[in-house]
Amino acid sequence: MRFRFAGFAGLVALIASAAALAASPALKPFERGTWQSVLRGHAGRPVLVHFWGVTCGPCKVELPLLGQFAKDHPDVDVVTVSADLVPNLPAATQSMLDKAGLSSTENFIFNDGFVERLRFEIDPAWQGDIPRTMLISREGTVTTIEGSAEMADLEKWSAQQNSKH
Amino acid sequence: MRTGLSAIIALAFVQGTALAQMRAPTASEAACEEPTLRCATKATPAFGPDGTLWLVWMAGGQVSVASSQDAGRSFSAPTHVTTRRLNLDWGPDARPKIVVDRKGGIALAFSTFRDEAFNGEVFYTRSADGGKSFAEPKPITGNNESQRFEALALDQDGTVFAAWLDKRNRVAAKEAGRKYEGAALFFASSRDGGATYAEAALAREGTCECCRLGLAFAAPGRPVAIFRNIFEGGARDHAVMTFTDVATPGEVRRISNDDWQINACPHHGPSLTVAPNGTYHVVWYTNGKTRKGLFYAHSRDEGRSFSTPMALGQPGRNPTRPFVLSGPAGTVMVWKEFDGEKTSVQMTLSRDDGETWSPPKTIASTSDTSDHPLLISNGKQTYLSWMTKADGYRLTAIEDQP
Repeated sequence: MRFRFAGFAGLVALIASAAALAASPALKPFERGTWQSVLRGHAGRPVLVHFWGVTCGPCKVELPLLGQFAKDHPDVDVVTVSADLVPNLPAATQSMLDKAGLSSTENFIFNDGFVERLRFEIDPAWQGDIPRTMLISREGTVTTIEGSAEMADLEKWSAQQNSKH
Repeated sequence: MRTGLSAIIALAFVQGTALAQMRAPTASEAACEEPTLRCATKATPAFGPDGTLWLVWMAGGQVSVASSQDAGRSFSAPTHVTTRRLNLDWGPDARPKIVVDRKGGIALAFSTFRDEAFNGEVFYTRSADGGKSFAEPKPITGNNESQRFEALALDQDGTVFAAWLDKRNRVAAKEAGRKYEGAALFFASSRDGGATYAEAALAREGTCECCRLGLAFAAPGRPVAIFRNIFEGGARDHAVMTFTDVATPGEVRRISNDDWQINACPHHGPSLTVAPNGTYHVVWYTNGKTRKGLFYAHSRDEGRSFSTPMALGQPGRNPTRPFVLSGPAGTVMVWKEFDGEKTSVQMTLSRDDGETWSPPKTIASTSDTSDHPLLISNGKQTYLSWMTKADGYRLTAIEDQP
């Protein structure tokens, strides 16, 4: 009976997880090739891509600040990627994005167990440390900020994008 | 009950089909969701005194143990250490730990996430009947804040030494209005082979909170730990601490000044081995201002000074997860590299106590996700122990090459 109960609890957890992903159409799976399609999809516009994860302490502090930045800068395309290892947690991810005011940005979640390959496509030098922010200019120039980004630096970069435009 | 369960299974099947259409079949790190070795994402080995290979793994939310008499080709029926599905710590640097003492007693430790904020809890258990059964896992400390990244080491006299990263002191800091960065290195020892542990004690405040530890014995009664410390200016560089005895922490000694000032979780911890002559061999990952990548160094004075860091691996191939072990043929290092399609394990060997190293050689590869490469020695031969999603568990003898 104990075993059956354990199986039952496992199923409930599975369904809860599946239902959460199904109920979050905004959370897109980040898979092989997604990075190139993100770059293509935003070509010619300033893009801020933020890699984070629900288990990362500094990310929890930074995410609401980024939410405010996105609100203040509609001219910058903000994209978030939850880059925690799979098993990823779509419900927790969506909840944190919602609380940070990032419900309406383009939000991805890593959805390939072979994370080395996903990361290699984005940046062969990236070992998986989060948070990490990539700033992509209209011309495609990429500036990478490792660790928590200073909002002042993001403001400065954003202003540069506008002045060039 | 049965009807209800069937309905749930049917629902799970529908959801599963919907998910399968939405997700690639490669979406999980695990090959399958059963508690069997084939489904393991993390597997940790230890040799017993009679040469038996013991393996502890996490799969399907459970911790299990099995043994092999034929160098990993076949395993005994597994013993389930846990009796229900747990929220095991699935962080990149987490894994269950195992030591097997001279009498064949098996001590284990593993961690779970205790809440939705990913605070951890370290559990320990022991088998006194050759792995047939394990005691009910118990928390290693009564404190209910957060503990993660436990490590175990076995002394010659059978003392089991445990160390882990602990966040209990953030409560007092918060109440006092002080900023609390990182975590603390805590430890406890067991005189009864891991059946009970002494009260947990603080070794060092202000360590990085999300990287594995390395742990060994420098000499009988003297544990040595390697960890990512937080130095002045927020530099998350590596340090060693050699304990005076199993109850008395020692000084923090910096291994190198990499100057990695980062407020982030590298999820990428170091490795340490102590050679029979007392030399410390260490490997680590940094992305500092001074140097970036994987590095090796050694110390012949208990960590007071270290050799100039030596870079490991091909920079364009994302070298990761280094591990070092002194064995019968010399000191061996392994790490992973990725070429865009395949992950390989690279190996290099030193026969002169770390002065010179053989050219790196690929000793294993896989085309899907994999656990960290680990090294293990039975006193006669050093092996690579590697869990892979595509190819299962592998134990590979390190060739005794000139």
